[in-house]
Amino acid sequence: MNTISRRHFLKLTGAAAALAATPIYLKAQSLSGRVVVVGGGFAGATLAKYLKLWGGAGVAVTLVDANPAHISCILSNLVLTNSLNLSQITFNYAALQQLGVNFVQGQATGLEKPTNSTWRVQVTGRTPLDCEHVVLAPGIEFQPVAGWDPNKIPHAWQAGAQTTLLKQQIQTMRAGGLFIMTVPPKPYRCPPGPYERACVVADYLKRTKPGSKVIVLDANPSIVAEPETFHRAFTQTHAGVIEYHPNAALLAVDSDQRIANTSVGDFKADVLNVIAPQKAGALVASAGLTGAGLWAPVNPLNYESTIAGMAGVHIIGDSQGTGQPKSGHIANAEAKVCADAILRAFAGEAPDPAPMTNSACYSPITSNTASWLTAVYAYNPATKTMDLVPPSFGEAASPTRDNYEDMFDWAANLFADTFA
Amino acid sequence: MSANRRVILILLSSLIPTIPLTAEAAPPPGRLLASQCAQCHGTNGRAVGDIDSLSGESAQEIYEEVLEMKYSPDTNDIMHRQAKGYSDEQIRLIADYYGSLNTGGGSGGGDDGDHGDHGDRGDRGDRDDRDDHDDD
Repeated sequence: MNTISRRHFLKLTGAAAALAATPIYLKAQSLSGRVVVVGGGFAGATLAKYLKLWGGAGVAVTLVDANPAHISCILSNLVLTNSLNLSQITFNYAALQQLGVNFVQGQATGLEKPTNSTWRVQVTGRTPLDCEHVVLAPGIEFQPVAGWDPNKIPHAWQAGAQTTLLKQQIQTMRAGGLFIMTVPPKPYRCPPGPYERACVVADYLKRTKPGSKVIVLDANPSIVAEPETFHRAFTQTHAGVIEYHPNAALLAVDSDQRIANTSVGDFKADVLNVIAPQKAGALVASAGLTGAGLWAPVNPLNYESTIAGMAGVHIIGDSQGTGQPKSGHIANAEAKVCADAILRAFAGEAPDPAPMTNSACYSPITSNTASWLTAVYAYNPATKTMDLVPPSFGEAASPTRDNYEDMFDWAANLFADTFA
Repeated sequence: MSANRRVILILLSSLIPTIPLTAEAAPPPGRLLASQCAQCHGTNGRAVGDIDSLSGESAQEIYEEVLEMKYSPDTNDIMHRQAKGYSDEQIRLIADYYGSLNTGGGSGGGDDGDHGDHGDRGDRGDRDDRDDHDDD
């Protein structure tokens, strides 16, 4: 890893924390209302922050999360290879609390509607939280896979203990071993993420455990994101180390023998990483917000549920079902659209009729090069969908060292705009 | 230049008070659009690291720079791609919003002349130049 970048990144995140200590807006406006946000990841934290920045003191914002801090999935593949450690991508809610966000650590378990205009969020061991608008941002849940025990076969697709487990397994793997990973059918969290992981693990194994191989078992018919970049990475940069199998749907896992049973055969690994098929977070499904599907249908003007009787309940981030990619960067974008719409609702106004969102991200390809992917989405009033604006969509021409440096600047700013 | 000095500058700039926004029922035009830049350019356009801060630039500077990127044939740059996602009117709204956040004649706007050059990796050089100006 490029140590200059890493040191630079640490300073950036420190600077961002200091920068955030002063509230920037002194809002005199007399908006008032109550919002409860469930989930303190990129979507939920951004929403809480911007409600306070834009809404001022009259808007009561409570953020509920089971954990005292969020561990970012963004950059977490670099933890697997010892380039970063988890503490460097862990963010507490102190800056949001300074802005006036009420942070409640606890498990939200259900929604009730005590009156026509009030929602009540149940939190284990806590007084229920009443509000006019509930925003659910719980991220993803995994679909069950026969025989899969994530405590033995990590997904590491929610950062934290899972990341540490996979890292330990990779680092104790024998030289000449087989690292096998499964890629879920789309849509899933972070479209380029699995391919990025294959690249950085391959790069790490080449340097530290000669003769090892990476096998990518992809449920999709082809590489889902940055196809040019990753095709080149698999066939040139990491040729002979990465082996890519498309159309390999995961059927079952032997968690003790470390075998992935797929539609194209059985694969026995030294380290098996199952990134299982995904669906909306548990609370979204149990509250009846997914309808017949796996994700929550919402109106992209305000991210309010389109399910009957659910007015005032909003779903943002990976659980929402607009078809926008599921990533931290665009979760932050959706949160701002949602925050603006909720504040307008408190003022008795309709949402902005033409919201825009965007996605941008960097993916490390080796220990010192990275690629990028970017896209802008615009609201289409005819179809009531967020549509890709085609000229905005593209991937880097090639992985470069400049991109690798830029990746840390991008991440530091995204982290700061979300948590600081 | 050292990251240290840049960080100190960022810390100092955070002490400059921002003019409170006036009370009004409707949010300021362009605010929501402009917030979509903040993932990379920082909340209210105050970036950390080598990414350009939009805070401190005039509305016209931002408008011209983004339009130049939008109409540039070079697509191997994230901002050149991003700029192509917005209408000229939207870019005007975004630029006007960031321009309106200026404290008026603050430092950090002294990077004039950079916005004529956004080819290839030129913008990267611009960023470094800009930081060096600030340092000195």
